[in-house]
Amino acid sequence: MTTDTDGKMIDVRDMCKWYGGFHALKHISFTVERGDRVVICGASGSGKSTLLRCLNGIEKHQRGSIRICGITLTDKPADINAILGRVGMVFQDFNLFPHLTVLENCTLALIEVQGLPRAEANELAMVQLSRVRIDDQADKYPGQLSGGQQQRVAIARALCLKPEVMLFDEPTSALDPEMVSEVLDVITDLAADGMTMVVLTHEMGFARQAANRVIYMDGGEIVEEADPDSLFDAPQVDRTRAFLSHILLHD
Amino acid sequence: MDQPSPPRIFTPRSAEAPPEQVVGVQLWLRRNLFYSPGSTVFTLLALTFTAMIVWSFVDWAFVKAVWVADSRKECQLTSPGGACWAAIIEWRKGIVYGRYPVEHLWRVNLTFGCLALWLWPMAVPRLAALRPYVLVTTVLLFPFFALPFLSGGARGLVGQAGFALSLMGLVALWSAALAALWPRSGAGRRAAWVLGEGRRIALPLGFVLAFAISWQLALPHVSTNLWGGLFLTLVIAGVGISAALPGGVLLELARRSQMPLIRYTAIVFIEVFRSVPLITVLFMAVTLMPLFLPVSWQLDKLMQAIIGICLFSSAYMAENVRAGLQALPRGQYEAAEALGLGYWQTMGFIILPQGLRLMIPNIVGAFIDMLRDTTLVSIIGLYDFLLMLRAIGHDHTWLGLYVEPLVFGGLVFFVLCYAMSRASARLERKLSRRWDKGGGA
Repeated sequence: MTTDTDGKMIDVRDMCKWYGGFHALKHISFTVERGDRVVICGASGSGKSTLLRCLNGIEKHQRGSIRICGITLTDKPADINAILGRVGMVFQDFNLFPHLTVLENCTLALIEVQGLPRAEANELAMVQLSRVRIDDQADKYPGQLSGGQQQRVAIARALCLKPEVMLFDEPTSALDPEMVSEVLDVITDLAADGMTMVVLTHEMGFARQAANRVIYMDGGEIVEEADPDSLFDAPQVDRTRAFLSHILLHD
Repeated sequence: MDQPSPPRIFTPRSAEAPPEQVVGVQLWLRRNLFYSPGSTVFTLLALTFTAMIVWSFVDWAFVKAVWVADSRKECQLTSPGGACWAAIIEWRKGIVYGRYPVEHLWRVNLTFGCLALWLWPMAVPRLAALRPYVLVTTVLLFPFFALPFLSGGARGLVGQAGFALSLMGLVALWSAALAALWPRSGAGRRAAWVLGEGRRIALPLGFVLAFAISWQLALPHVSTNLWGGLFLTLVIAGVGISAALPGGVLLELARRSQMPLIRYTAIVFIEVFRSVPLITVLFMAVTLMPLFLPVSWQLDKLMQAIIGICLFSSAYMAENVRAGLQALPRGQYEAAEALGLGYWQTMGFIILPQGLRLMIPNIVGAFIDMLRDTTLVSIIGLYDFLLMLRAIGHDHTWLGLYVEPLVFGGLVFFVLCYAMSRASARLERKLSRRWDKGGGA
């Protein structure tokens, strides 16, 4: 679409965010190239969720700049709308619409935002639903599905809008242990298809397998950034080492 | 501790029948009513007491009741300890229609009959797709249909066009119902044609025809101060109920608005109306509203009372809507935003459908309150159901007869309110079955 991206899908420079007097994000700078699979990890309260929400405009940053697909994210609704079409978001709690069927969850934005006719929207949605292997449940309501199935529907819903970047906010944290892998498999498949993505997760196995970069955050700032193997096997910073020892012990 | 305990192995078992349940009337009685000497005594006392009350009521209301009499005196002479239902039977027209001229009562009946026709698709499961259309046309178009019949007299161009539109709305609604129910039959096919490819011809032709009918329809004016009885109560409650929900939703959305002017206007409006009794609102509507309106705009008393009740009920409904919207998790807004849905789309497709469903019990509770509150209009001199019932006791042939009419009124209100509450419980069960457990539907 816009050509001045130099291959940079996300370009964050010196970005700060405050909640009242609390400095939630401190001078964040990083870039995500087309095709990158970036995993962000960090304890709860480290600011990683806030960072992800800033990337699609749900939260507003106060200083620095965020460029998504070459569009600078400002307060102007037009900019945010332009970005929303290109950024797909998957939430920890799925946030499916419980009063709509699986298919209607997927087609709502296609019909109401993009103005597609219903038949065409249904066809598109079924393609994405079969991509996450849940097309056989299209006519059910979210309440009838398991957590893992719901999260796969949420992924399909985001994919329907043909995003250029996918943001995953702890996609497996709310799931029962036996359902984690079905969701991670779907995300891994997407990564193999070349989808650019930023994933918040503590699943180290997934990070090693699917990610090409890992960012560790603590206290609202980026502490360390490296490829998965070097970050997990040979962290350079004490804070990273302490964090990793906690979650590795847990695994 | 160091010795590992030997492994235990479990063989799979098949499911067994539950232990024999001891059920039956005797056991239930013993568990709930006669489980100790004290409870036995209390149960017997309570049963005796209830039986006495029920018996004396039945005795009064049915056994000794008088159904045919010409005056209260005759009732008392025939059966001193019995209810005098003869008064209610003789006053039945007044109770239902107030002082509406007898030769024009068909107009009221026709209007309510048409309302039933209008709402009928709501009750047919196969016409579920028509329901939103039914509700919207009932609220927006039906008043234009009802007014020429109920009130009559001259009406302006807007009234004429509104009546024509409402006629078309009714025809379109029934065509859609016919086409959906009997798509094969001749009538169904013709109905589908009117709505489908014949639209270009049917629409203008229908409007001209409806306008011509509207032009011909000139019924003598019946002033609203002759309206009364159950009919008036239903008109006031019906308008109040239909206005309350849209009004409440709009007020609540205004209160959540980012724009300070809109937000504070809504807050002041809601707080003022919620902190003032309805009776005060009614008095203000009748005495103060005329002072603010231009002289040429003077409304009659019924219109003022209806406006007062609509404003009051909207403010209360806004509070119910707030409760429903606040119960929705923040994630629903975020998901809608992430999908690029705008404000009205988010509200219309995501937030309100879920919020309203959570609020069904409160909303119907507010409707029931409203129906009962309409009896207050008798204080500003409108002859509603309750006032007509009390008027029986002022009639010189039935002088002093107050108890029977009030018992009858209580029964009517109970039937209406209970029906609403059952309907709401059914709706709630149906929706929760569909969304939560997903069985059926």
